[in-house]
Amino acid sequence: MSEPIQLDALGPTGPYRARSRLTVTDVAGQPIAELSQVPRLYVNRTIGALRKGPTLSADQRAAALAEAGRAFASSTIAGMSVEEYEHYVSRVAGMPLAGVRTATQRTAQAAVEAYRSTRFARPEGAVEDWRDPMTRTGRAVWTRRGDVFAVLAPANHPGVHSLWLEALALGYRVVVRPSRREPFTPYRLVAALRETAFGDDAVALLPTDYAGADDIVSASDLTMVYGGDEVVEKYAADPTVLPQGPGRSKILLSGDDWRSHLDTVVDSVALHGGTGCINTTAVFVDGDPAPVAEALAERLSAIPSRRPEAEDAALPVQPADTAATIEKYLFDRAEGARTVLGGDGVADDLGDGSAALRPAVFQVDSPDAPQLNVELGFPCVWVAPWSPSDGVAPLRNTLVLTAIGAAEELVDRLVEEPTISNVYLGDHPTHWLEPGIPHDRYLAEFLMRTKAVIRG
Amino acid sequence: MALAREDILDFPLDRVPDATEFIEAAMHWHFSPQTGSPYWLERAKTLDFDPIRDVHTFDDLRLFPNVVDEFRHVPSEALIPKGYGDTATVIGVFESGGTTGSPKRLPFLEEWMARSESWQERHMDARGHTRGVNWLGVAPTGPHMFGSWTQRMARRRGGVPFFVDLDPRWVKKCIADGRPDEADRYAEHIVAQARDVLETQTIGYLVTTPPLLERLVRDEDTAKRINDMVEVVMWGGAHMDADTRHLLRTEVLPDVDLWGNYGSTMILSGTVERAGLAEDALCTFDTFSPHVTFSVIDPDTGERVPYGDRGQVVMNHISKAMLLPNNLERDTAIRVEPPSGHAGDSVADVAPVSTFGDKPVIEGVY
Repeated sequence: MSEPIQLDALGPTGPYRARSRLTVTDVAGQPIAELSQVPRLYVNRTIGALRKGPTLSADQRAAALAEAGRAFASSTIAGMSVEEYEHYVSRVAGMPLAGVRTATQRTAQAAVEAYRSTRFARPEGAVEDWRDPMTRTGRAVWTRRGDVFAVLAPANHPGVHSLWLEALALGYRVVVRPSRREPFTPYRLVAALRETAFGDDAVALLPTDYAGADDIVSASDLTMVYGGDEVVEKYAADPTVLPQGPGRSKILLSGDDWRSHLDTVVDSVALHGGTGCINTTAVFVDGDPAPVAEALAERLSAIPSRRPEAEDAALPVQPADTAATIEKYLFDRAEGARTVLGGDGVADDLGDGSAALRPAVFQVDSPDAPQLNVELGFPCVWVAPWSPSDGVAPLRNTLVLTAIGAAEELVDRLVEEPTISNVYLGDHPTHWLEPGIPHDRYLAEFLMRTKAVIRG
Repeated sequence: MALAREDILDFPLDRVPDATEFIEAAMHWHFSPQTGSPYWLERAKTLDFDPIRDVHTFDDLRLFPNVVDEFRHVPSEALIPKGYGDTATVIGVFESGGTTGSPKRLPFLEEWMARSESWQERHMDARGHTRGVNWLGVAPTGPHMFGSWTQRMARRRGGVPFFVDLDPRWVKKCIADGRPDEADRYAEHIVAQARDVLETQTIGYLVTTPPLLERLVRDEDTAKRINDMVEVVMWGGAHMDADTRHLLRTEVLPDVDLWGNYGSTMILSGTVERAGLAEDALCTFDTFSPHVTFSVIDPDTGERVPYGDRGQVVMNHISKAMLLPNNLERDTAIRVEPPSGHAGDSVADVAPVSTFGDKPVIEGVY
């Protein structure tokens, strides 16, 4: 048995190996790495040091981000090649390898474009610098709300780490607390950034326990926290925290030719294992939902069960006991729904202690069935009837809503609806995302403010 | 020359008696009708063994049931051995933390406190701590022994005690009630008072808890002031993890003698951090043997774990003033070989019972 990989904290004076370390195991329960757990004292000292760190110029930041992005996707970083990194992510997170590879490329692209994409969020009336000639007659200047931005990161998808790069582009010092389940991606990204002009006092990786995480939130100026409804509720009243809650992405199918859009629906549900907040959780059908559910089931059932590192893997894999727990939870919640796919069980044992989570399709009989909010980290979709008389209400609280064949009057209301973050019209999967396009509004809307400046 | 049985429990600190002799003397004292406490004389009737007949060795202490929960309601006077007559001086009735239900109360006799303090002083002298410096305690007084101990100790050492009080139960209540902000404000209030003393007075000896110390040194100016001015920082009352200890010793307070005192109301004293530990060694505590003895056990089997393994700590207190055997504490520690001649175990890297493990989150993708 080889020595476990050491994932050290990355602090202001370099890597820090704590005595307290968590074992990171793969989906078969094999130990892969040890993740240092820093104490609160280290958290507070790190954030204090970052706060005092220098701010690079915008030009230096853009260049360093691009350099780090390219290294992230192509170089050996902290002794680990891209291929090894991608293998480990698929093994510990259970994410299909193809999805990890796509995320690598997209993260690199996001880094290269991070500076440019932040510009889209700047109010038209605001200038970048107080020296801008416009301020001579009075103008808004776009400024940061603080100096240190923290991320309490999730494990569901390596692509989530592309988002916080924009904070670095805006001049923030950034602290990332990795999840214990998949620390490889933030470790690699932070390490890559520290090899550029950002250096050790601009970006840090602080693996720590819950008490340490609370200290990260209180010591940083602003924090982005991923979690479920309870996390959203915990921070709802805190203006310094941006909670990233469940996505509950949805598709609305109107019109008779839904069959020609089936690829988009299947892809939205299942791409890269369906582990993203932008994968579809519920499909609403203006008409009879049964044939849609059956067509989806037929297509999804063809996805093979594979170990996550296989070239043709397309389903998420979990430790067998976790998969069994998820299956039981699903069946409890599915009470009263018609099972179209997955009734025999969704946990498919792979024989090494892990299990693939196979797709599940359920049909519910009303657009306000409670199951439509049940978002799980594998291709699991709830299909419901919907008619124009049901209105927007069942479609609320949605990160991405793809509406196919919707009437213009309905589109007006969907775009106006405050609890729907993104509206895609026509054949666009819910997971469509490009640099420069807001994910859940622009991150810069949270990180920046305008300030009046007049001089001369 | 061996000590007479009646003197064994008051042994001079440089003449530590044999553990078996000591335990036999204690059983005679606590279970003889003329000398035992009303509580133990009554409680003995319900035991399925005779302590005087059956308890001789350190291992025999395991015959006793864990009685500490009864001290939540036993009147404190019932715990004072009759053998003192009317000469017992109670310096205070001190309470356990109250983390697990209502607090446990024990009367502390002057005679025992003085013995325990003399023993701790030997360790301070051995570490070269200067006498006659001002002390600052930032610790709970009230029903807890920590504050009284600190103030008595400062005076014994020829120093003047400065003090900032706090109520740890209020902090726990704030947290339990889901009011972490209130706990935070309270802690800041304590720390601000301590800072003021540190900034305006000359302090040589700082006594506090790990969480408060950590908060104090969060402010770099305060950390520098402590490092430059304070000779000794003694911590107790809560756990300090090995990483925090290492950071404090090497980065934050490198010029200070940082030493730990792991105590519990239920042993009526502290245990002292071993001197001369290697740079990277875990913080190891030695007890006031044979008055205070530990065993580190596997809670599932009740058997002692091998040296170097982690287990749960069983504590015994045996003195003339009190008998409190076989108390399974919630703390875990690594079992360490004790100094030669000591009964029981020494302990290292003491930590609360593990609360590791995420609660399984099923719904949602994060």
